[in-house]
Amino acid sequence: MNRNCGNKLFPVYEVGSLPKLNLRVRAARAESVTDQEIAEVQNLAQKLSIETNEVTEILKHQQAEPRKFNLQEDSALADFNALFYLKLQEAAGLDFVYDGEARRAEMYRHVARKVAGFEDLPEMIRSRGPDSWRMSACVGPLSLKENSLHSLIIQEFDFVKKHATKPLKVPLDDPYMIAVMSDNRYYLESLRTEYKKDPRKLRYEAKRAFTLALAEKVIRPQVEAVVERGATWVQLDIPAATLDLEHIPIMVEGVNAVVEGITGSKFSLHLCYPRRVSLAEKQGYQLLFPAILDLNQSVNHISLELANADQYENDLAVFAEYKEQRCFEIGLGVTDITLEQQQKGTLENAETIRDRILRASKVIGDPSLIYVAPDCGLRQLKLDRCLKMYQSIVEGAELARRG
Amino acid sequence: MYFGAYLTGAFGQSQQLYQVRNEAKRGRGSQEAVLARVTEDTKNIIQLQREVNQNYLIDPMFNFFNLLQPFAEQVNGVEIGLQENWFNNNVFYRRPQIHGPLELQSGFTKKYLHLNHLPADGTAMVILPSPYTLMMLSEITGYPNRMTAVTNLAEILHLEAQSLVSEGIGRIQYDEPVLVVKQSLGSLNTEDLALLQRGMDICGKVTGASTSLHTYFGDAGPIIPFLISLPVDCLGIDGTETRLNEIMKHNYSKKELALGLLDARSTSLEDPQQIADQLKAVAKKTSPEKLWLTPNAGTEYRGFTHGIKKLDLLKEIKVILNE
Repeated sequence: MNRNCGNKLFPVYEVGSLPKLNLRVRAARAESVTDQEIAEVQNLAQKLSIETNEVTEILKHQQAEPRKFNLQEDSALADFNALFYLKLQEAAGLDFVYDGEARRAEMYRHVARKVAGFEDLPEMIRSRGPDSWRMSACVGPLSLKENSLHSLIIQEFDFVKKHATKPLKVPLDDPYMIAVMSDNRYYLESLRTEYKKDPRKLRYEAKRAFTLALAEKVIRPQVEAVVERGATWVQLDIPAATLDLEHIPIMVEGVNAVVEGITGSKFSLHLCYPRRVSLAEKQGYQLLFPAILDLNQSVNHISLELANADQYENDLAVFAEYKEQRCFEIGLGVTDITLEQQQKGTLENAETIRDRILRASKVIGDPSLIYVAPDCGLRQLKLDRCLKMYQSIVEGAELARRG
Repeated sequence: MYFGAYLTGAFGQSQQLYQVRNEAKRGRGSQEAVLARVTEDTKNIIQLQREVNQNYLIDPMFNFFNLLQPFAEQVNGVEIGLQENWFNNNVFYRRPQIHGPLELQSGFTKKYLHLNHLPADGTAMVILPSPYTLMMLSEITGYPNRMTAVTNLAEILHLEAQSLVSEGIGRIQYDEPVLVVKQSLGSLNTEDLALLQRGMDICGKVTGASTSLHTYFGDAGPIIPFLISLPVDCLGIDGTETRLNEIMKHNYSKKELALGLLDARSTSLEDPQQIADQLKAVAKKTSPEKLWLTPNAGTEYRGFTHGIKKLDLLKEIKVILNE
């Protein structure tokens, strides 16, 4: 049966993020928060028995005089947001919880801005349609900026640990993911002479050196810090795991460099949007094999986006095929978290989720290996949709337990 | 030997363009403001290309979110499908869903291009997907086989190219990343080659314009002889993926050669003299009709400022080469 959850089948968790509270977003733009936004938060907080006096006072003050929060106010709102999401997850019936990444601006920037050796590119880089991200370029040897570990993870973790009544799963960026989203000028230039006759080898070795430096200098210190403080489950986020099919071994090496020798915690990976048009013989999660067989043995759980494609049998078959060589627990994505579904107003019901869980259990052949989650973090969605999604997932998992 | 230079793909967006797009997306700005900014930035980049003596001028493609978008959005019988990564970039496209056979049609790129700001004297270049790449990145239904599908797509692309030439465009570049990516991944087979061959037999020759087949994001080395045999005037090779000594094993005497030696996906700036020396060595050894220096792909992956830096490098290296 699943560790950490007694004999309960199909434990439920959130992958990572929840949307920022509207009133924090509005205040960040120096716009006045609305009565409705204040009332909504108060009502929800009351149901969760969360004290709101201090926050309400700040919000009323901001409403009367629209401006950005000062540091003290911002910190109080971040604490409130983190506690609010933690208690929402607990109340919703999730078995492993965290704070919805309430203190993190965005997964990449949260880390990139605290890395010495990085500098921002002047413009946002387009990614999906008009959506863009602020890319950083690696321009020198890497390290975490002085005193940044506290604001990066320690403050967040200590706060959640203090207030949680359920087991935690701590989501952290994976080094390979940061490497893929960054410009690798420093390592390309450092290795150019050595590999001048082979540009493909240069690109591979430069990315490898970059990833391993990120692992050692940026990510591992965060993992060590939370494990030292009592974290028992750390999840590394790698949405880009199958982005470059020839570089998947670098991803594996990066993960191993992060977790090697660290004891006392379970480690998992979150992967999503695998290359379904790979142009190779394999596609989807097949692309990870055999490389991920070399993952450190302490990485025993892989969380997968699956609902978006709804091809559970195809997508999971490869994990069943390799089960004798390497048996991973599966974090089963059971709800599509894309904006398209939100715009259509469609959401999987508990019966659909039950069916997906049972389909996956049949493919994997061992229901005790299955955990249940949304496809990915919910940062892009509206909060009320997230709550409905939690409800469906928890109910769907319960239906699946009944068979 | 004549050495020239030109850009080969979408240019990086300016921060101002990002901002107006972001405001429009969030309902705080208008599409008119976006279009105005796109036009302004387009004019600026076309003018910059003139100032640094680029041999072909391109629309910087600020109206494109991906190369396949005009085809997917405008061609009858095509719908927009699921989101996928654009090769190994943290950039996405939506798969065209092609319900074939498609009726022959043209003019689908014009809404996205600023033809009125490009010269009509034959020095402007427009970039289209190759029929093979378009087919391989799409979901195809309704055709008896892939050869029929690529034939249909090539006929449409040829019509589009011919239509653009009637507007004064002097060069058509067909982008062909899929073939070399498959080559690099070891999944290329003889059917792939036959499909590209068939496509280029149909759209490779365009009356009144020269054509180029531009490969990128993969190693062209082992298939250069095949690429040379295709009916296009110019062959583009990604020099950040293909070894120079592989490129220099071949003779290009009846072809132009466009070498993507500037890495559009890196802010690292190449040494101008070193690139110039490499081009001179290639020219001496391989005798192409013309030798062009290009970025390996569009500069969109590192933004506006770094695009300008690569453009300045093109100018500087061209000056060295023609001294």
